[in-house]
Amino acid sequence: MELHNVLDFPILSLSIFLPTLGALIIWLFVRGDNAVRWASLIVAVATFLVTLPLVLQFDTTTSHMQFEEFHHWIPAFNVNYQLGVDGISMPFIVLTSLLTVICIISAWSCIQSRVKEYMIAFLVLETTLIGVFSALDAILFYFFWEAMLIPMYLIIGIWGGKNRVYATIKFFLYTLAGSLLMLIAVLAMYFKAGHTFSMLAFMDYPFDFTWQFWIWIAFFIAFAVKVPMWPVHTWLPDAHTEAPTAGSVILAGILLKMGAYGFLRFSLPMLPDASQYFVPLMVGLSLVAIVYISLVAMMQTDMKRLIAYSSIAHMGFVTLGTFMFTQAALEGAVIGMISHGFVAAALFLCVGVMYDRLHTREIGDYGGVVNVMPVFAAVMLFFCMANIALPGASAFVGEIMVLIGTFEAAPAHLGVSAMWIAVAAATSVILSACYTLWMYKRVVMGDLVKDSVKTMKDMSFREFGYFVPLMILTLWIGFYPLPVLDLLHVSVSHLIDQVSTSKLDAAAALLQAMPAAEAAHH
Amino acid sequence: MANVTFPFPFPDHLITLLPEMIVAVLAMTLLLVDLFISKENKVWTAYMAVITIVVAAIATIQLYPAGSIEAFYGFFVFDPFAAFSKLLLFAATAISILISIDYMKDENHVGEYYVLMLFAMLGMMLMISATNFIILYLGMELMALCTYVLVGYQREVLRSNEAALKYFILGALSSGMLLYGITFLYGVSGSFDYSEVGAALHATGNSSDPAVLLGLVFLLAGLAFKVSMAPFHMWTPDAYEGAPTPITAFMSVAPKVAGFVVIVRVAVDVLPAMQTEYMTILTGMAILTMAIGNLAAIAQRNIKRMLAYSTVGHVGFVVLGVIAGNADGYAGILVYLSIYMVMTLGIFAIIILMRREGIQGELLDDFAGLSKVRPGYALAMGLFLFSLGGIPFLAGFWAKYAVFIAAIEAGHVYLVLYALLFSAVGAFYYIRVVKYIYFDEARVTFEFTESRVMQATVVITAVAIVALGLYPDPLMDACKAAVVGLI
Repeated sequence: MELHNVLDFPILSLSIFLPTLGALIIWLFVRGDNAVRWASLIVAVATFLVTLPLVLQFDTTTSHMQFEEFHHWIPAFNVNYQLGVDGISMPFIVLTSLLTVICIISAWSCIQSRVKEYMIAFLVLETTLIGVFSALDAILFYFFWEAMLIPMYLIIGIWGGKNRVYATIKFFLYTLAGSLLMLIAVLAMYFKAGHTFSMLAFMDYPFDFTWQFWIWIAFFIAFAVKVPMWPVHTWLPDAHTEAPTAGSVILAGILLKMGAYGFLRFSLPMLPDASQYFVPLMVGLSLVAIVYISLVAMMQTDMKRLIAYSSIAHMGFVTLGTFMFTQAALEGAVIGMISHGFVAAALFLCVGVMYDRLHTREIGDYGGVVNVMPVFAAVMLFFCMANIALPGASAFVGEIMVLIGTFEAAPAHLGVSAMWIAVAAATSVILSACYTLWMYKRVVMGDLVKDSVKTMKDMSFREFGYFVPLMILTLWIGFYPLPVLDLLHVSVSHLIDQVSTSKLDAAAALLQAMPAAEAAHH
Repeated sequence: MANVTFPFPFPDHLITLLPEMIVAVLAMTLLLVDLFISKENKVWTAYMAVITIVVAAIATIQLYPAGSIEAFYGFFVFDPFAAFSKLLLFAATAISILISIDYMKDENHVGEYYVLMLFAMLGMMLMISATNFIILYLGMELMALCTYVLVGYQREVLRSNEAALKYFILGALSSGMLLYGITFLYGVSGSFDYSEVGAALHATGNSSDPAVLLGLVFLLAGLAFKVSMAPFHMWTPDAYEGAPTPITAFMSVAPKVAGFVVIVRVAVDVLPAMQTEYMTILTGMAILTMAIGNLAAIAQRNIKRMLAYSTVGHVGFVVLGVIAGNADGYAGILVYLSIYMVMTLGIFAIIILMRREGIQGELLDDFAGLSKVRPGYALAMGLFLFSLGGIPFLAGFWAKYAVFIAAIEAGHVYLVLYALLFSAVGAFYYIRVVKYIYFDEARVTFEFTESRVMQATVVITAVAIVALGLYPDPLMDACKAAVVGLI
């Protein structure tokens, strides 16, 4: 087998295992909270630097997997350690390593108990997340996907808010129940596709429609829980609200993307006919997420809960774009995910900054923050505007591309005019403006009446520091998304080829050839 | 010189019984030697028992057969399947003895305790190698009688006595059922030999014969009792709770290995002609077992009871390997039992380490805040619990994987779906213990037993769980090799 790896160096393995290796060293050798913080920061920054060549050396002219690695892992079941990235998965790896750095800085002073365990949990979490985005073997993918539950369970459960136990167990069980269905689907595909777990082989194998149908449903449940899509979203507000700030950042920034990435990596290319068949369902659920969840967001009194619901609404946009199967919509969906990774992460960090001062997340406990924290107010305004998808912000690029792609989509297989879908989706722009700005008004604007708010101090240099990269990236993608689009372009058009090429003819041909082959066998 | 002639041909391949002979002879010798060991030095009895096992293990490895070797006119078989299962059994018994030393040091007559464990193990070795119902019955009774006594070993503890009595009454009943089933099969076939009974059943071709069906049902009921398959699991929680904790560990692992080997042998040798009936009954029991084990475990407050129900739940998953009925399934059973053994023994070692004024830490509440008091034990406990829940990078995931993939291969997708549902339910009560350990504040203080042997057990089992989780291939290969030639 020929491996495409321009570096001739296992860079993906290094990115995956460097954090865990660092965690191991910290666990065994580093003593003292401050030493642990610095050591973790060094490990996280090193990992970020290691992932940078993935961008710099990326070949944008091919849809083939790059930086590939292949080792036998469990030959008894043909499970292999197979890694590789394309334009769709690579950005998420870099996003993960960047957000982990920010998470570790953000936890600098607000995590005071069990610092070492916290940092280790985060570094292990980074390993599993990068692993998910680089795995090309379905069992390896599942391995990382599930392993992620352990550090996340502990992060929410140990360092979370008052109701953390309920939230973390709910998160764990929801995700586990969904993922187990994915496992069964993968095991079934193993036997169907000729004793292989290679995701690339699954993409090539012609599954007939009945198979696609059931496997699609199993994957759908696993991924929909993770995205999360209405109506299986209820774990997210709880998990977000109770998680420590950095936990929310990584949840919103990366974990939610795993579900959408699953659709892009499994459902669309492996099960194109079922994906086409289920478009109405996906569009319907996405629109419910956009419209209904936006309305729910408006009525929240807890800032983190509000942003959590806003995340669900924005992910509705992503799933909508994913299932339009047009170049613009799919690229818009991926940009939307990346952008949401910056914006939602930054908004959770904003809430974290306030929470560190007053230890409350209730909107009603604030008011007039701008008077005591002018710099902070400006930063938060910036990200609120980005959350509304104001032109110039990265979210705008994603949303406008999804809308354009939706208009383009052939209405034939949807049952309703694509235009109406786009119109319904566009209400999100108005609704997100309502809930975001209303929250901003109640929290930041107004007169300074509450005594507790008067005591708040403006952001420290460190706090400001971790917003800077997020602001730069938000603006950069907002004004000049071309470099990112270039990364995506070829991979996305390959994906569109895959999803628009029916596997049914090949499956029928295979079915015809089967008796002949069996006769020859005997 | 006159030729010495035996009145009967001397049994071939007697050497294959060497491990059994070693255990039998050394155990009896140990019983005598123990009389001369003073109470303070009883730990030497334990070490000698472990040495006995090590010698038997070395003999087994030396004799490790390439194929199936029959001895005693087909009463006894020594094949890779038996050899591998015996090695599992040795590991389980040896570790159980090692974690007993500290626990039992204040008891009287502790010497016999170790010898009884050896005899129980001997019984299980016979069960594993039996290809004849009489040998099976003898082995099973030897095991059962020893474990009855071991469960009730703490004579002054009421709970221990009660558990032993319950276990004995139900166990005797189940032995009776097993024997009753065997007589039916004997009546139909005129033989006690597995393969001869199998051939007779095949020849009659009439599986609806009530005698055959009754025989099958009673036989299965007896076997199901030994491996705690519902609805014959009733004894499990009481016996587990009341027994000395190391015996609970021993019982939750060793008899399950032996029991499943017998169940597989019966499926392969005795009942190939009755696959449909056998599988129907097993499937029904598996469905019931998974549900009862995993649901009832949620309600438990005592960790030994919880683990008892969790054993029942895991047995339900292992049965999937039998139901799959293919080589992958039987290999999956061995994978599952190996990994399950490591996790369970590790977790019981930690439970034994927790003492509070002489009382064991057994309630879930007792684990509250463990992560602050003893982060090392908490970490190990967390690893075992996540592993029992089947979460990857830990070995428990591969255990489930091995049986599920075999069941899917055999086309039992719905059954696997059902099993996965209960595996999610199972995860709940495991992560709830993690919640006590990591999220809660300590409520009671413990003095921890500072025993090097125990700590080593915890470390070794925890490392094994992680190592097997990251690289399960050697184990899977060994298990696959062990079932070659079985079917």
